[in-house]
Amino acid sequence: MIKFSEERLKKVNEIIARYPEGKQKSALIPILHMAQDDFGGWLDAPTMDYVAEILQIKPIEVYEVATFYSMFNTKPVGKYLLEVCRTGPCMLNGSDDIIDYIKEKLDIKEGETTADGLFTLKPAECLGACGYAPMMQLGEHFKEHLTKEKVDTLIAELRAKAKN
Amino acid sequence: MAAKVLLKNDHIEGIRYYDTYRKHGGYEAAEKALKMAQADIVEEVKKSGLRGRGGAGFPTGMKWSFLAKPEGVPRHLVCNADESEPGTFKDRYLMEFHPHTLIEGLLISSFALGSNATYIYIRGEYAWIVAILEQAIDEAKKAGWLGKNIQGTGFDCEIYVHRGAGAYICGEETALIESLEGKRGNPRMKPPFPAIQGLWMRPTVVNNVETLAAVVPIINMGGEEYAKIGIGRSTGSKLLSVCGNVNKPGVYEIDMTISVEEFIYSDEYCGGIPNGKRLKACIPGGSSVPIVPANLLFKTAKGETRYMNYESLSDGGFATGTMMGSGGFIVLDEDQCIVRHTMTLARFYNHESCGQCSPCREGTGWMYKILKNIEGGKGKMSDIDLLWDIQRRIEGNTICPLGDAAAWPVAAAIRHFRDEFEWHVNNPEESQKRNYGLAHYADPIHVPASA
Repeated sequence: MIKFSEERLKKVNEIIARYPEGKQKSALIPILHMAQDDFGGWLDAPTMDYVAEILQIKPIEVYEVATFYSMFNTKPVGKYLLEVCRTGPCMLNGSDDIIDYIKEKLDIKEGETTADGLFTLKPAECLGACGYAPMMQLGEHFKEHLTKEKVDTLIAELRAKAKN
Repeated sequence: MAAKVLLKNDHIEGIRYYDTYRKHGGYEAAEKALKMAQADIVEEVKKSGLRGRGGAGFPTGMKWSFLAKPEGVPRHLVCNADESEPGTFKDRYLMEFHPHTLIEGLLISSFALGSNATYIYIRGEYAWIVAILEQAIDEAKKAGWLGKNIQGTGFDCEIYVHRGAGAYICGEETALIESLEGKRGNPRMKPPFPAIQGLWMRPTVVNNVETLAAVVPIINMGGEEYAKIGIGRSTGSKLLSVCGNVNKPGVYEIDMTISVEEFIYSDEYCGGIPNGKRLKACIPGGSSVPIVPANLLFKTAKGETRYMNYESLSDGGFATGTMMGSGGFIVLDEDQCIVRHTMTLARFYNHESCGQCSPCREGTGWMYKILKNIEGGKGKMSDIDLLWDIQRRIEGNTICPLGDAAAWPVAAAIRHFRDEFEWHVNNPEESQKRNYGLAHYADPIHVPASA
């Protein structure tokens, strides 16, 4: 049974209260972020239906939003989602090499997840860190000025973190 | 001359926190504004000549004066923090390191416009900045600058941070409003404009982060004083985010009187190009504005010095000029491939098209596919003309400006670098091994004697 914790439900209600009465649908994107964080890193149909129920809107209203925005995953992803920017400014600074290096190192293609379920590689379009390129988004943080050595360190750290 | 207006306290440690910000003159503009008549604040902004810093450059005071004020209907101010234009990361800098400047600007603007509930729509990827802004809002609230009966004026105002979820299109103001209503980011048909029917069909003003932050110095200095910075209709200071092949990428504040050449080569700003390479091309205002080759960047087609401001950058129109845009300054050195760079931008716009209008939805896909072929050595000579034809059919034929934004980079690349595209087609194998290089793109342009 999908259900936010009491503490999280409090947060949900706090978010809904930011919008005028009857306009609770405005809280949809912030609450989908919470649902994705709490329920396995992606949004399956039961999760989206649960969000629809909370906001008293139709499930289709949730599906159409979840499929529109690139940060919502509608398929399972690895524990760590490596979103490497590849748009112009990052490309000028070698993002293609970084993407190729990660593919080779983790033995996966773009969009794939490693067999151990730890890493998914997802090429991303401009994330707003053009002056600190190349870069990737990892969860709620940016990893900038990437080099092959930095990628090695990062992956080793994440592997160690997953074990603990 | 370096104008430090928005970033004047950049060097002060802890300026992101309330106490430090207040100690260094923070919220003095708010104190002043809360004693002014609302219409007078709008008047000061008009006098300042401030133009929207998100990219379009529309006069802010005029936008404010369009706001409808029907009796009994709440109005809203929405801060556009969906910064997503490739090359642009200035608003991020402002929010991350100077959150109180934005909050103070929002308070003054909310007061002027009569918004009791103001929203900051921030791009979903700037997740950690949400916490920074919320902390600043809490601090401001505790100090009595937000909430009920602010400073005894009887004015109530709450500011909420609303996080998006990854969609470039939500930077377009009506798409942003749709998204804020919990829907897909599909731009609306205009009219009605947001000033009449915006968020929840209520009168709404949507302004960029930098624009709203600039209201603070405008109130502090007075609109007329602020307008003395800069030149012509490019008043005030402008933040530029620099990326690509420069020694010192980052965010800089300029007063729009310096030349493009100085901006790229002086140590105060970009610090020149790494490894002694030569400049090939530049996109001075975010990926949507036309790319220009080196020889049209420092001098206009008439042979005059080009400056970092709205008028000078657009001198010559799209034939030989470009635009100030969002201030996302992208520099390409002699080793870069224009075809590949254009291909990544076409992929970007294809990914970000909302799919509502056929010319954009289909056209961006075709442009990406054709550019990928040419770049990969599988292009035909007729593809170049086909690309030109497609971009021409997108421009001006869509509900929102994303269509134009997708068309312009392709058009400008072909306009100025056609021989590089042809070289890819004629040399499919060689083009996979090396770049076309600087070629003639930095050669001086012959200026015809004036008639």
